[in-house]
Amino acid sequence: MSDLDRAIAQLRSCRPIPESQVREICHKARELLIEEGNVVTVAAPVTICGDIHGQFHDLMELFRVGGDVPDTNYLFMGDFVDRGFYSLETFLLLLCLKVRYPDRMTLIRGNHESRQITTVYGFYDECIRKYGSANVWRYCCDVFDYLALGAIVLGASNTLSTGTEPVDEDTEIEVCDQSGTVMSRFPRPMPRPNSAEGPARSPNGGGGGSGDRTGPPGSGASGSSGGSIGNPTGAVLCVHGGLSPLIDTVDKIRLIDRKQEVPHEGAMCDLLWSDPDEIDGWGLSPRGAGFLFGADIVKIFNHRNDLSLIARAHQLVMEGFKEMFDASIVTVWSAPNYCYRCGNVAAVLELSEDESGTGLFARSNGDVGRSDGGRGVMMEGETFVRNGPARRYRVFQAAPQDSRGMPAKKPVADYFL
Amino acid sequence: MAQPVPHQATDKKRVKVYELRDNDWFDRGTGFCTATFATTEDGRKDPRVIVESEDQPDRLLLETKIQKEDGFQKQQGKSSPYTLIVWQEPRTGVDMALSFQEAEGCAIIWRFVSSIQQTFHNAMGGAGEGLSDDLAIEVPPTINLPKAELGNLPEIESSMRIMSSTANGRDALSKSIMADDYISKLIPLVEMAEDLESLSDLHRLCNIMKTIILLNDTSIIEHAVSDECVLGVVGALEYDPDFPSHKANHRHWLDNKGRYKEVVPIEDEQTRRKIHQTYRLQYLKDVVLARILDDPTFSVLNSLIFFNQVDIVQHLQSNSSFLADLFAIFASPVRNQKKRKEAVLFIQQCCGIAKNIQPPARQTLYNNFLSHGLLPVINFGLKHNDVEVRVGATDILVSIIDHDPQMIRNTIYRQMHENKPQLTDSLIELLLVEVDLGVKSQISEAIKVLLDLGPPNQPGPENFPKVNGEMHGRPRPQTAMDPQQEVFLTRFYERSAPNLFKPLLDLEHRTDMNFSPQQASMFSYLIEIMCFLVRQHHRFSRYFVLTNNIAERVGQLLNSSEKFLQLVAIRFFRSLIGMQEEFLIKHLTEKAVLGPLLDVLISAVSRDNLLSSASLELFEYIKKENVKDLVKYLVSNYREKLLGLGHMSTFRDLLLRYDQTQGYTVNIDCFLEAEEDVGRRPPPTPTNRMMEHITMDPAEEEYWNAASDPEDEEDHGQEGAGKSTANGSSTPLKPLVDYASDEEADEQAEGTPEKEKEGDDASSTSSGNDPSLSATGPPERIAEKRRREEADDDEIGKLMQNKRRNSSSSASNASVSSSVSRRRKSFTGVSGNNAPKISISLSPALRTGGGARSDEDS
Repeated sequence: MSDLDRAIAQLRSCRPIPESQVREICHKARELLIEEGNVVTVAAPVTICGDIHGQFHDLMELFRVGGDVPDTNYLFMGDFVDRGFYSLETFLLLLCLKVRYPDRMTLIRGNHESRQITTVYGFYDECIRKYGSANVWRYCCDVFDYLALGAIVLGASNTLSTGTEPVDEDTEIEVCDQSGTVMSRFPRPMPRPNSAEGPARSPNGGGGGSGDRTGPPGSGASGSSGGSIGNPTGAVLCVHGGLSPLIDTVDKIRLIDRKQEVPHEGAMCDLLWSDPDEIDGWGLSPRGAGFLFGADIVKIFNHRNDLSLIARAHQLVMEGFKEMFDASIVTVWSAPNYCYRCGNVAAVLELSEDESGTGLFARSNGDVGRSDGGRGVMMEGETFVRNGPARRYRVFQAAPQDSRGMPAKKPVADYFL
Repeated sequence: MAQPVPHQATDKKRVKVYELRDNDWFDRGTGFCTATFATTEDGRKDPRVIVESEDQPDRLLLETKIQKEDGFQKQQGKSSPYTLIVWQEPRTGVDMALSFQEAEGCAIIWRFVSSIQQTFHNAMGGAGEGLSDDLAIEVPPTINLPKAELGNLPEIESSMRIMSSTANGRDALSKSIMADDYISKLIPLVEMAEDLESLSDLHRLCNIMKTIILLNDTSIIEHAVSDECVLGVVGALEYDPDFPSHKANHRHWLDNKGRYKEVVPIEDEQTRRKIHQTYRLQYLKDVVLARILDDPTFSVLNSLIFFNQVDIVQHLQSNSSFLADLFAIFASPVRNQKKRKEAVLFIQQCCGIAKNIQPPARQTLYNNFLSHGLLPVINFGLKHNDVEVRVGATDILVSIIDHDPQMIRNTIYRQMHENKPQLTDSLIELLLVEVDLGVKSQISEAIKVLLDLGPPNQPGPENFPKVNGEMHGRPRPQTAMDPQQEVFLTRFYERSAPNLFKPLLDLEHRTDMNFSPQQASMFSYLIEIMCFLVRQHHRFSRYFVLTNNIAERVGQLLNSSEKFLQLVAIRFFRSLIGMQEEFLIKHLTEKAVLGPLLDVLISAVSRDNLLSSASLELFEYIKKENVKDLVKYLVSNYREKLLGLGHMSTFRDLLLRYDQTQGYTVNIDCFLEAEEDVGRRPPPTPTNRMMEHITMDPAEEEYWNAASDPEDEEDHGQEGAGKSTANGSSTPLKPLVDYASDEEADEQAEGTPEKEKEGDDASSTSSGNDPSLSATGPPERIAEKRRREEADDDEIGKLMQNKRRNSSSSASNASVSSSVSRRRKSFTGVSGNNAPKISISLSPALRTGGGARSDEDS
């Protein structure tokens, strides 16, 4: 058993590892992360997770529900720390897993992965309490600066992988509970009648739905115009907060020098702080950083960048996930009973792998010649919506009380004053 | 109603008014307090508490009406005199406190307040005048808690739960619990139930105890953590029914007397009690109740802790014999290392607490420490071989520096005059040898703050908050550099800097770029400091950079196999370019560092990693800012390489720009910017660089003006913008390119109706930035806030000076076409558009941003 595996085992039992080991792991993680672009490309299948916020036992529950590492590929969309009482163990475990299985773990930065925020919302205090000095906090903050700002999931299938129960090809969304039992399914909305192609079936086609079935709750998914035959799904952009008025293409994100404390403004700040909202265009965010953005913004952005979906975290949703704007953006939240008292459930989003081979498509964050992608959105005179990938949401609740000790902060050992 | 109305003239009591902001008691000022009846417009007499400012008697610091539901409370330990009155403002919901100088004054005001509250109380009981019937119905139930016996626990639990669900019930319950000393009666039951192994009773006791504490009554909480009660109380809380299979060991933890360390015995009984009480309160807050604390209880606990800490610090610093004893530990010939270590840790903790208290009190504490010889102690600690002590010493140093670097700087000046070894030099020495990375990074921060002198320097014209640490240059009123600083800096660059950057300078004779992790981290700190110096001390650092050939040295690091060192080097060049300063640019071209940088990019670009994005950002900046000399240099020397990167618009545009101008400097921005409709565009911020104007060469100025004027005049009717000076220093930047022209170009180029849409986007963006909107930022969520230090505010303010959303603000100005307004835009516009933004200062951003509202946020 290597030192790293030992560290993972120790962290899995929720015990912090020695400072020297933290330093080593942070150093290794930095070497890995420096090789990642600002937008990491991730191939499906992958399980996308939202905020964790130091709720270590619930992270264990998440791994139980979603499958353990390295059997399942994970993409965590930031906010690993603060609020909960085990930020340190949570972040270090995720980081160790990243170092151990670099291709199977993707970590991107959330607004809480910042020096200023962690000094206010708990991670700093926790490090001081657990190690007696701020060194470990500093090592972790250095790693924060290297975290990618977003990820692009490619190759997600239009059909769900077979779960515990067989799945129809036209199921677009499936919601499971923590034991894997299907709670509800939503078929892909039928293509519009005047669409050139008929409702013939194809593994990647969006056809075959019958008439007027309604979309999933909150998704407002009722008859998008996408989904002609063989039309592969677009990529899925994952980012902690949302869009930025300064970023019109995914390529623009690559032009950010990300190795810095999260600024108070600018593209990098917006990606980590913004929220979607029922407005037109852009609005001032009540958070004071980032912006609010409306459905029109999301749709134009998705079209321009060949995206079918934006997955983001950053906002507590009581149901664990929430699709908005005709399923063009989804909020995923993975901290059940947030702050140990909000009473919400959590969710992870599973995207399955497209095995048919017809779903190959150009890398939408590719290198060449795409910088004017998306011109003429308005020329078409209508909003064109990409066919979304099939999505399975696994909803789960807080870890049973007995599986964890009493959640509490570690007290300061000695005191003079 | 016979009220003991205090006589107005003679009964003015000296008080401080506090307001709870961000869980910090904010000092609203000192004044004189009166409690009186004010006649309202409709002739009624309203009982009010009024505080008139001490300095400006006309100004009211406070005027609040006493209402029943105000819940004014008197605070302070049971035995110590009451000097505090706390309440929540009914209109605003803000927690307020009056801290009286004299207990007597507090008592007088309190008598008035409580008599009024009593009247309301009675009035409600007897359906008195002026109160609605609805209220009258809510007669507080007379409380008769069942006798505290094991058999009564179910009944006690349920009646408490019912009572605590209404405000009146809670009041009554609190009163009766205190009056009957009910807690003391419950405590023996815990052990009884334990002996009987009756888990259900223990769970009930735990619930009861939780309910009692969450009544949120300060006197109850103080009583609960008193010596007599605390173990019993936490004992009951060990059996949490939410965790039936677990038992906490709070009693074991708190009973361990060994946790309290006494370096120098604290004689004062009351202070010692407060120290223990504070520890217990913290334990209660962080451990016992961490999961169930509601926001009001959280803030009550915090304010109890805060006031205790204020008193403790107050006592320690005014106790000069104590301080003498404390510092004597370091002077004594008997070298008791353990004792010395503990003393350092004690001071560290003291400074840690001091961070939370009011700045004046903090100032006095540090002053007292310094006058008793803190600096030698820090020096001792920094050189200690125990890393814990070094951490402690740096912590102490940093906390004082954070509070006021001038305090330390003055000492350094003195050392300088006395020709004694300077603190900066010992810090530099340490930075070079320190092995603990944490200490190292703190020392490098400390060095930066100490060297951050003089007028507010904006971090380069691009306003890119690149500083990675917690520390940024602080804005300070603009003053001429004081001669002492001048000497200090001169000496620093003459003597200290060569030492500090020696490892870097030594690279000259080294070809092998493999370093130990220690060395590698050293370089990253050194170069970070160098970037900082370049931004902060323009004149001095430039000379240093040029004479020591720093660019070439740093360029060597591009050959390192450690990617993060390459990155550090790239960021250094980016800082130099960001200064947009002729000599530095020339230095860069002479030392031919951009070529290797292009090589790094070429090898990294297919990988899409941090190196490629950092170098892309650098070239993008050159392109956007049109750093002419660099464009010219790049294209004329590296055309092939640029062509190889031609699939990226940045490099295409660089080539295009050069080709269209034949290397001359005609402004073709609007042409090129066409593709950048929403691109980030740094503002033409007037740079208040230190001494800039002194060195500005008139010829150079003319060059810049000549370069950008004709085109601007033609295109936009912009007259003489380039010649204008802002804030007395001429700006080397050309005026902001107008985004309207982008859209026009778009339209012309593509002939699509896109413009309308883009325009919409732009305007909605700008409305998002509308200062009037932002000025009415969301109310701060007080309850959600956690401690913030004031330093943060400074820092945010500082960062906020950086311009936000250039594209949108320029877009919103796009329609303005008269030359006058355009000029205003290029200068005042920058601040005008953004100044309001600064004043709201996004602090809600950070405060509420993380705010755990259950319905939003994260």
